[in-house]
Amino acid sequence: MRFNNILVPIGGHKADEEAIELACKIAKGGKSKIYVLYIIQVKRALPLDAELEPEIRKAEEVLSHAEDIAEEQDYEIDTDILQAREIGPAIGDEVAERNIDLLLIGMNYKRHFGEFKLGDTVTYVLKNAPCRVFVLRQPLANQEEK
Amino acid sequence: MKVLIMGCGRVGSELAALLDAKGHQVTVLDVDSATFAKLPATFSGVALLSDGTDEDSLRAAGIEGMDAFVAVTREDNRNIMSAQIAKHIFNTPKVICRIYDPLREELYQSLDLEAITPTKILAQMLEERLTK
Amino acid sequence: MYIIIAGGEHIGYYLSKALLSEGHEVVVIDKEAKRIKRIEEELGSICLLGDSCEAGTLDEAGVERANLFIAVTERDEDNLVACQVAKHKFNVPRTIARINNPNNEVLFKKLGIDVTVSSTNLILEHIEEVVPTHPLTHLLAIQRGELAIVEVKIPPSSTVVGKRIGGLPSLAESTLALIIREGQKPQLPTLDTILEADDRVIVAIKPDQEEALCAALSCA
Repeated sequence: MRFNNILVPIGGHKADEEAIELACKIAKGGKSKIYVLYIIQVKRALPLDAELEPEIRKAEEVLSHAEDIAEEQDYEIDTDILQAREIGPAIGDEVAERNIDLLLIGMNYKRHFGEFKLGDTVTYVLKNAPCRVFVLRQPLANQEEK
Repeated sequence: MKVLIMGCGRVGSELAALLDAKGHQVTVLDVDSATFAKLPATFSGVALLSDGTDEDSLRAAGIEGMDAFVAVTREDNRNIMSAQIAKHIFNTPKVICRIYDPLREELYQSLDLEAITPTKILAQMLEERLTK
Repeated sequence: MYIIIAGGEHIGYYLSKALLSEGHEVVVIDKEAKRIKRIEEELGSICLLGDSCEAGTLDEAGVERANLFIAVTERDEDNLVACQVAKHKFNVPRTIARINNPNNEVLFKKLGIDVTVSSTNLILEHIEEVVPTHPLTHLLAIQRGELAIVEVKIPPSSTVVGKRIGGLPSLAESTLALIIREGQKPQLPTLDTILEADDRVIVAIKPDQEEALCAALSCA
């Protein structure tokens, strides 16, 4: 199996690091291109193109950390920041626009009111993304309780 | 006093019975005739199968001669709209409606529409009894 | 412009599609997840699940920066309340409500809704174009025939030309619903509206008063 374009959406969580690392390992074999994408969700109280300084700063930090991880793997990645109303559909649009053939997304083991939750974004991409999707779930030991 | 009550649920029928027993002239409206079974056998007022959320049906129910209009259907928005028709189109002297949603009630109080919010009142009563 | 639409049924859907293509920012609020899904599948993330009469939902929709609020659900009472909350709680500059019962036009106006759109009147506008012009055209019977919607064209020779509607006692018995003036947007008549020659007046009236109305508006 060979992929040309891999998309790794990240949000600044622990799970992102492993997702990027895994993407690099997969990419090496087929010289795939890796896009790492940070999406800023913009509330409707603000226009979509609002200049969200603190969010943008955070996104830049997260993406620069992503570059460091890729560098450790000796691989180059492209990074981008996007502003959107909903994360899932925005990832879907990127998949189509960049001809992505593998979507690799890291997730924490999350519980909400005591119950395991897949989360809206992962649910959305699993249901809607036209390409292959890898979900890299963190081991149970790393679970978050909300 | 002549009173038109819209909604013959638990509250509407109870109110109709109370006013009727005190000798007031009561007309009660509902879209479901089965609700009229809640009225006591002694009820001497009028029960009308009618919608009440438009001018025509309120006029047909005789709102023009009424001293008061009370809207107590299950739905906030129906109560709000018919109460505003009574107040602004027919100039009924006394208009009261029930609004369950406390935020909506606040808004309409500010627009000068008299409303009662059972949710808020009950919560306050419970709180008072618990902390007394 | 930022436009909020309450109600994602047919009208809400087609309206949002048209407004988006004109470059406006649009959000559609609906209580039914099914309807939201249908719109989002085609038009993207422009929906919000919730009750458009609730302040919390409107707040989430960013109603405070909305330029226009349009309520187009199937129910007049929901449209009224949604517009009143948007207008009086959040100060949206302009509110438009769809109404099904043409009687409600007066009420909505009185309560501060800026524009009301009655499907009945919209249909009338179209009938307009195909109905031959003579002083009184019977357009539609409503309320099981107790009321009629008619169009009267005011001839230039009529004595009402240049008069205030409020100053014409002969019109007191009828409800003037709409005035259509060549080259202008149809307007909702008020007591202060001045009638002009060739105005087409859409009136709701009891059938037995049609003749009197016709005489009052077109007499020379």
